[in-house]
Amino acid sequence: MTRLAYVLTAAWHGFSRNPFMSAASTFTVALMLVLLAFFFVTDRGLQSAVGLLEQKVELIVYLRDDAKVSEVLQLRARIAKDPAVSRVDYVSKDDALKRFKELSASRADIAPVEEIGVNPLPASLEVKLARAQESRRVAEELRAEAGGPLIARPDDIIDNPQVVEQLLTITRVLSIGGLAVLGMMLFVTLFVIVNTIRIAVHARRDEIEIMQLVGATDRLISAPFVLEGMLVGVAGAAIALVVMVAAAGPVTSSLIKFLDILPVSLGANFMVQLAAGVAALALFMGAGGASISIRSHLAK
Amino acid sequence: MITLEDVSKRYPNGTYALRDIDLHIGAGDFVFIVGSSGAGKSTLNRLLIREELPTSGRVVVDAQDVARLPRSRVSLLRRKVGVVFQDFKLLPTKTVHENVAFALIVTGHDGRAVREQTERALALVGLLPRRHHFPRELSGGEQQRTAIARALAMRPKVLVADEPTGNLDPVTTWEIIKLLVRVNELGTTVLVATHNAEIVNALRRRVVHLDHGRVIRDEREGLYAA
Repeated sequence: MTRLAYVLTAAWHGFSRNPFMSAASTFTVALMLVLLAFFFVTDRGLQSAVGLLEQKVELIVYLRDDAKVSEVLQLRARIAKDPAVSRVDYVSKDDALKRFKELSASRADIAPVEEIGVNPLPASLEVKLARAQESRRVAEELRAEAGGPLIARPDDIIDNPQVVEQLLTITRVLSIGGLAVLGMMLFVTLFVIVNTIRIAVHARRDEIEIMQLVGATDRLISAPFVLEGMLVGVAGAAIALVVMVAAAGPVTSSLIKFLDILPVSLGANFMVQLAAGVAALALFMGAGGASISIRSHLAK
Repeated sequence: MITLEDVSKRYPNGTYALRDIDLHIGAGDFVFIVGSSGAGKSTLNRLLIREELPTSGRVVVDAQDVARLPRSRVSLLRRKVGVVFQDFKLLPTKTVHENVAFALIVTGHDGRAVREQTERALALVGLLPRRHHFPRELSGGEQQRTAIARALAMRPKVLVADEPTGNLDPVTTWEIIKLLVRVNELGTTVLVATHNAEIVNALRRRVVHLDHGRVIRDEREGLYAA
């Protein structure tokens, strides 16, 4: 029997000698990984939903009726240069009237425009934002031009700071809260593995002592435990992957139903990446947790 | 082979386990370390395999300053210094053969070396007929012989026995001591820490007497008590 054979059999014995403990930690790891995967899927869905909403954030700049077209075009070019802005559309008085007519035709509560006689609607610039969080700054910069030749009053800049703030809050809560939940889950998983291996180390403390006395290296002493940790991780990941594959269909369809109004897509490779990520993470956590346990024992 | 220069070991509570020890043990020597409990015998042994570090002074084993050894090389030191304890420290789930082979396997010997060195060590201690027995099926003396075989299989330069006969009856004690003398005759430096006055007095070997952490006597053909 060589060293490698020793490491492999010792790892397997460690895993199988205490089947209840191994099974308990394997299932805990599996549960954590499933929750993690579910969290990723949900987070990804919500993030892309919020992303879509963010793209819809826009500012409207109402223009004076006597604004010169050349100056309006200059203003439009200037706004478009701002990196926070994705596009700027010019809506003329006629366009505005046309839109209003369309709207009033479908809505009984809006009076037909014919009753008014003249076109009371101003021309406007519709500013679409690439970065919703800068909406307030862009609006403030435009308000500074109120009273000038193009914009009459600060009120002529229409933004929706509350909507934007709420959206940004949702995004922030999702990412910070998500990271916190993620961190806690990783911690719990690591904790479970560390303790499982600590029990294994304790059970084999006599063997470890003898190995140290006869001059085995720390690396060789650690190897079976690290392998056992990885075994727990891999077994947990395997269970988690089976659950994920079984649940993928129903979860995806219910998520799409839930976010019906939005064309949310998780991406073709997302599930494959997620599965690979879960497996890699399990392996890494298994090895890492086991290393923590055995190293702290050897350092005593 | 072993040199201690002005070695002291003081514990955090201020008590000295060893104090100002100067000791030289040549290659091939056989030395009894005697003294009452707490005199520092076990601490001395632990310093030799770097289970503990001296508070001051130098411990040199086979031309290496033990305290300066990086952690990664401690394993190599321990392959040179075999240890045997009063409580044998055998693995109960392994047979005699497996207990001995285990030391060789975990120190990276290949399959053939494991087989050959295990056989030779078991032959030397006279346990080949009992090689497939488990420790619980052996007498105390046989268990200690297994532990000695495990240490010898590594072909150490030094064998340190810490109260090797403490748990054994007088007849078995003699068996073990004769075995250690034989190991010494084959070239291994042997240190035996013991309480047993009878064997020390019968063998008339070098005796280092520790008392409260100090060497109070070092005689070439000594007795247990001065």
